[in-house]
Amino acid sequence: MLAALLLPSLLTAGTEPPAGAVKLNEPRVQYRADEASATRSPWIDANGWRMARDAGKTFVYHVKGEAAALAAAESFTYGAGALISADAPGAEAFGRMLQFLKTVPEVDLTPVADFGVVDDGSALDGELLNLLTRMNLLYKIEKNADRSFQVNVRLGTKEYPKEDARNPSVLAHKIRAQIGDENRSLRIYGSEVVVGRLLSGPDQARVFLLNYSGRPVLGLRVRVRGAYSKGELHAAGLADARVADWNQDGPATEFTVPELRAFAVIDLGR
Amino acid sequence: MDRRFFLQLAAAPMLAGFEEIPSYKVVSHYPAAKNSEMPGPYRGIVARVHSKSVIHHERVDQASVDKMLSAGIKTLTGAKAEKEAWASFFSPSDVVGIKVNCSGAPRICASPEVVGGIVRNLLSVGVQPANIYIYERFLDQLTSVRYKRFVPEGVQIVAIETPRASLLGYDPKTYVDVSFFGEDDTRSNLARLVTERFTKIINVPNAKEHQAAGVTGCLKNLAYGDFSNVARSHMREQTNTLSFIGTLAAVEPLRSKCVLNIMDGIRAVWHGGPFSENKKYRFHPKTMMVGTDPVAIDRLLLDLIEEKRKAEGAPSLWDRSMDKIDRRAHLDFHKNTFIREPGHIEYAATNFGLGEYDRNRIKVTAVEV
Repeated sequence: MLAALLLPSLLTAGTEPPAGAVKLNEPRVQYRADEASATRSPWIDANGWRMARDAGKTFVYHVKGEAAALAAAESFTYGAGALISADAPGAEAFGRMLQFLKTVPEVDLTPVADFGVVDDGSALDGELLNLLTRMNLLYKIEKNADRSFQVNVRLGTKEYPKEDARNPSVLAHKIRAQIGDENRSLRIYGSEVVVGRLLSGPDQARVFLLNYSGRPVLGLRVRVRGAYSKGELHAAGLADARVADWNQDGPATEFTVPELRAFAVIDLGR
Repeated sequence: MDRRFFLQLAAAPMLAGFEEIPSYKVVSHYPAAKNSEMPGPYRGIVARVHSKSVIHHERVDQASVDKMLSAGIKTLTGAKAEKEAWASFFSPSDVVGIKVNCSGAPRICASPEVVGGIVRNLLSVGVQPANIYIYERFLDQLTSVRYKRFVPEGVQIVAIETPRASLLGYDPKTYVDVSFFGEDDTRSNLARLVTERFTKIINVPNAKEHQAAGVTGCLKNLAYGDFSNVARSHMREQTNTLSFIGTLAAVEPLRSKCVLNIMDGIRAVWHGGPFSENKKYRFHPKTMMVGTDPVAIDRLLLDLIEEKRKAEGAPSLWDRSMDKIDRRAHLDFHKNTFIREPGHIEYAATNFGLGEYDRNRIKVTAVEV
């Protein structure tokens, strides 16, 4: 399946979204300092899993301010048709992001996945997909297990009992361990609030980086499996930005994104 | 093929007597420097200098500090003249980082009087002011101490993380990769200042109890003060400080560039470290310890803090009982916030050869000035 680059649209005030449009959450980070947590990781409200699950549908966001820009970038990242309802500052933020998205070159690449998830459409599966997305574990949603993957997750089987999925964090870490960090196609170091997506083709790859925090991330390190010799950074809000500290060594390529605001796209070439 | 060393430390099998150790992967392409890597030329040797007059009502006496530094470096090296002693470590072409400790600043930190004295000695052997860096991880902590007043114009005062959480000041190709609790960011990177700029480092820790590590001395000041993403080692009552501190301190080129340790024990903390919010847990040993062996100095620090805690009726640093653990009671000296790991010092000695831990084999020369 090729990933289409769809540009989002602003939903005009007073206009209703089409029937059947899937409503999405405001993309953001919630810092829950008052709650006990094993990791102290902030909670990311990300919608990638829903766009992956309901591919082909129309999505709608109701957002304010800078969240409109992130919503536009998020739907663009997942190749989803999205309508964005925003207040006046949000419309302005959306406009800026849209201008940037129009500058990102068209490519003909396929989403990369490291394992499959057989999705029965249940809330339990949805919660797992949500967490996998936030943990940057790249999956493909399947109707039946794809034997080309070493790991296929189907809740309710002996290996993945539904009882285990009641704590999706434990299950997600189990899947992560089964894949092995060294084998993951995409790793992100230096932030817990950035979600990535990876597309690839024979000679090219594209990394999308979504920063949900509302604050710039400085010095983000990215590791992509595969040997690439060059990378072109398209960073929203930053003219002439370039990747730094390129390192192609063994089975992977690494580079640094010096500053990531809400969104960036990195095109990698052999 | 470049000189890239990938050191896979499948540590567990070699660690008889220690609890389960995480699997560390150390990535560095810097080889060890011949004859200079810690513990350096004076393994198991510590010059301990005491001065009754060095502090009075929280005011540090510069003249006493200068005498202590002079006595310490001469006693360690055996040199008759102070300049000769310093010249045995530093030359005019060196770029020297002074790793201060400001985590408890301005209440307790590497005293500016001590740092100023070190800088004057470096200048005396020809190191250029612009090639002297006073550094710490966080700018807000560093600038809370008025080092600038104590050093000549041109000496650099810099933080690694500016702003906090930025990774730009760290070397992306020199790191320790380890997962403690399933965190996704598994890397701790070494500061670029260390890998790219400094030729030598002087480590200036304080004498402090640490609620996770037991004490924070030479090893911890180097390890947690030069790497990113280290607080993850103590998120839970049972921490990973036992193995993490030595693992980080042994990474090249940090290990080879740190040629001298000067522990500022003029003030000290016996509970509530490293931040020391409560004044009643601070005391004045009026001591400096000088050496190239971080383990030997830290071994003596253990005794210093343990004895003080005993005198105050506080639990031993080695007390691992869970009934004393209370994560919200870090200023109650009857309680522990974490299970402390003072064993990190022996671990660093045993597994990385960072110095001499056996108290009977540590030669301490005590000097009164």
